[in-house]
Amino acid sequence: MSLTEGKLDRADLLKVGAAGALGLALARPAYSAALRSEATTLNWLTWSDHYANDQLKTVSKATGLQGRPTLFSDNADAYLKIKQTGSQFDIVSADGLWVPKYVKDGLTETFDLSSLPVSKQLYSLARQFPFWQSGSNYMAYPFSWSTVQIYYNPKYVKVKPTSWHAILDKKYAGKISLENIPTDMMAIAGRATGAKKPYSMTTAEISRAKAYLKGLKPNVLKLASQNNEVVRALADGSAWIGITNLGTDDRVKDAGGPVVKSAYPKEGTVGFIDSESIVKASKHKDVWAKFINTTEQAPWIAKNFLTNGRPLFNEKAYKILVNQGHGDRARRLLYNKPQLALQMTIKGPAGDQQAYTDAFNEVFGA
Amino acid sequence: MDSGVPAPPRTGRSRFAAFGQYGGFLPAIVVFGVFFAAPLALIVAYSFWKVVDYNVVHDWTLDNYRYFFSVGTYARTFWATIWVTFSATALTIVIAFPFAYWLVRYVSKRLQALLLVLVILPFWTSYLLRVYAWLNILGPEGAINRFLHWIGLTSQPVSFFLYDRPAVILVLAYLYFPFAALTLYASLQRFDWNQFKAAMDLGATPATAMRKILLPQIKPGITTAVIFVFIPILGEYLTPQLVGGARGVMIGNLIANFFGVGQYTRGAAAALLIAALIVALLVVFRRSLEVRDAYAP
Amino acid sequence: MPRELEVVSPHAGLARGAFTTWAGLVYLFLFAPIVLLIAFSFNANKYGTFPFTGWTGKWYSQVFHDYQIKDALTTTLRVALFVTLISTIVGTAAAFPLVRSRLPFRNAVRVGMTLPIMIPGLLIGVSLLVFLTNVFHVQLSVWTAIVGQCVYTTPFVLLIVAARLQGFDAALERAASDLGANTFNRLRYVVLPLIAPAVFAGALFAFTLSLDEFIITLFLIGGSNTLPLYIYTQVKFGITPEVNALATLLLAASLILIMIAFVLPAVIRWARQAVRVRATR
Repeated sequence: MSLTEGKLDRADLLKVGAAGALGLALARPAYSAALRSEATTLNWLTWSDHYANDQLKTVSKATGLQGRPTLFSDNADAYLKIKQTGSQFDIVSADGLWVPKYVKDGLTETFDLSSLPVSKQLYSLARQFPFWQSGSNYMAYPFSWSTVQIYYNPKYVKVKPTSWHAILDKKYAGKISLENIPTDMMAIAGRATGAKKPYSMTTAEISRAKAYLKGLKPNVLKLASQNNEVVRALADGSAWIGITNLGTDDRVKDAGGPVVKSAYPKEGTVGFIDSESIVKASKHKDVWAKFINTTEQAPWIAKNFLTNGRPLFNEKAYKILVNQGHGDRARRLLYNKPQLALQMTIKGPAGDQQAYTDAFNEVFGA
Repeated sequence: MDSGVPAPPRTGRSRFAAFGQYGGFLPAIVVFGVFFAAPLALIVAYSFWKVVDYNVVHDWTLDNYRYFFSVGTYARTFWATIWVTFSATALTIVIAFPFAYWLVRYVSKRLQALLLVLVILPFWTSYLLRVYAWLNILGPEGAINRFLHWIGLTSQPVSFFLYDRPAVILVLAYLYFPFAALTLYASLQRFDWNQFKAAMDLGATPATAMRKILLPQIKPGITTAVIFVFIPILGEYLTPQLVGGARGVMIGNLIANFFGVGQYTRGAAAALLIAALIVALLVVFRRSLEVRDAYAP
Repeated sequence: MPRELEVVSPHAGLARGAFTTWAGLVYLFLFAPIVLLIAFSFNANKYGTFPFTGWTGKWYSQVFHDYQIKDALTTTLRVALFVTLISTIVGTAAAFPLVRSRLPFRNAVRVGMTLPIMIPGLLIGVSLLVFLTNVFHVQLSVWTAIVGQCVYTTPFVLLIVAARLQGFDAALERAASDLGANTFNRLRYVVLPLIAPAVFAGALFAFTLSLDEFIITLFLIGGSNTLPLYIYTQVKFGITPEVNALATLLLAASLILIMIAFVLPAVIRWARQAVRVRATR
């Protein structure tokens, strides 16, 4: 109306803008669909440290397979997502003892590991995890691992904490940063109180674990949902102790923080073993092997180590790192000792998830 | 209440007239009926079932509800949450009201829109990034401590700013300020300032005029602002998780822990209890919520 | 009108000064974290915290090469546009009968339609997820996320438009009717133009809410990513200042759009006037 009268006011501008935006919105899908039709997209439900953007781009150019990662925040979250989304995902990065659960529930498929040439680059023990074997097939392609241990600031923590019970000391009140993963924290508490199977604890073991966490609570500064937060807390001194993955000391130094050291509690600890699996409902199962074979090559894995600073299972990549002069760092982060991965309690689904969550909530509620 | 709008023709086309009157509800009924009410009904059913090995099993049980009343944690956390929410809401309104008043009373119409958009602008960055920015302000190495150190007031970092309830209250007030500001602005804007002139001509002081004329008329606006702020904050869990530390846990955190691991049945019961309490609050305070139009004849 | 109030109190100047100072402090409060956010996008420290280990533009160049972030951004904008469109139409349409019809349980209906705001977002997300996957066996997608977000944003639009409609001067419509306008024309030429600011405000609200919405989207989006989701799920090893860089770019884009919306009409008007003046010389 006012346009024809020659007066352009804000309302008209907004109308034009809105129409343009709408056109853009409707046109977008067509545009990106055209873009993607050149390469097959493999939707990859994974952690942010399993890939690098340049890696995906190079692999796509070489094989015509474009990896498209979607991230998740918790193993149970990933499991539920695969269950609920059918064929939307092609690859899932399952963790430790979740892998057999995926297979058992018909969500992922096993495969012949030896048919993947890149598997020869792995440490031999990584090719023979008993909990991932299914007849002559394997359930997942091994990628990385890490224990969850105690990192402490020696400036404030004078005695190296060699036991989970050492950090219950009252002088650490409000100085510990934990991971906000109820199931894993309960498992650690189980380890600390002598539970036989930290992820399938009996009712009595759960109460003991809960009591441990209750004793720990006054010392807890925060429950971190990102490793970033633990690094930050250790770096700026709000936390003296962090319960977290390998490589945190390097990251704290990177963030301009003090020197922190790691300590292994004598009761043992939990940890993750990450992998890549084939989603059963995927429409691109036939190309999974080709994608993994190209993505998991040693040079990429070596680069991954340098970016993320935690051990992986590719032995050839370790040799590359040593040749490049990073051998010390790799050894410090236990890259050449994959057998340690088998000594930890490997993360997995909880036997009675409800009881674990109940116990955790009861401790950390108000 | 008849709004004075001319009524549709009372001919034999009364069904068409009814459609004209109520037709606007149709899309809303689809959206809310199919995508809100029905799922909610399903979730109510879920709260009476249980989860075994990450699968929902249709065994009817009162166990979930019984659990929340058998353990003291949830009631305690709920009261702590009410306290935090109340404080955050109060802080938000106290900050927003003078701001909205300033905007309506002292700023020219043309600039008002621009200044309002500037209030919303921070919303167009990410929620998480804004909260992280607060970590950089409140932490021991953060902006406040650096400033205090720089002007020589402290020699050690003061750490009470972070990882406790006060931090949660402050950051929540920051995040919900635009809700309150916009609502209060909309309400103040409709106020007829001539009444002020009339009151003062009749001898009232500005303070009396404010108290007896302005406040009663913008009460619906204040109430709406309180609702827009109080209720969402009640269900918050991200901010408490990031800046609250172990001491700043709110009921949303506990519920999120259930939903995060697929314990839908427990989580459903907890969330429904909270929702029921909110609805109960609204029913109790329904008198003050009735948005009776102050301008109706 | 408020500014034209005669100054009767000796303290008027003081009051004005006090309020303006307050507003200044409020803007400082609002933008201090934003300034920090922008500053850290140039910080070499990849944890986005103090100390400043150096100034760098590498995060910005990373953003332009990161197709994942671009993918997430595009999805976010698409979702936001559709959510805004749908909830504005549905909300505005529903506001009319809510305010004007002679409905017996008006308050109950109002509460019913604003119930989604009262329910924790978690519950909306989970209930819709459970409903869509178990009852209708629908594939999760961008569209299920759009639907979920609409449930959450429509009540806001509804309330804002209804509030405006309630204070609507019915005399205007009566006058139009007296002059021969039917319902449709009354709507088109009298009511809608006058409530347009409220509809626009509602739309803006819906857009803003959708841009940052994360809880409902987390449950319903299936294999796609939106920006808030992308940021939140960088759990294990944390976000880098690349996200700060992206946020800064988005902020700059929004500022430019705002400036255009506010400044351009004035500039054009001025230009036209200048042309007209020259033509009449």
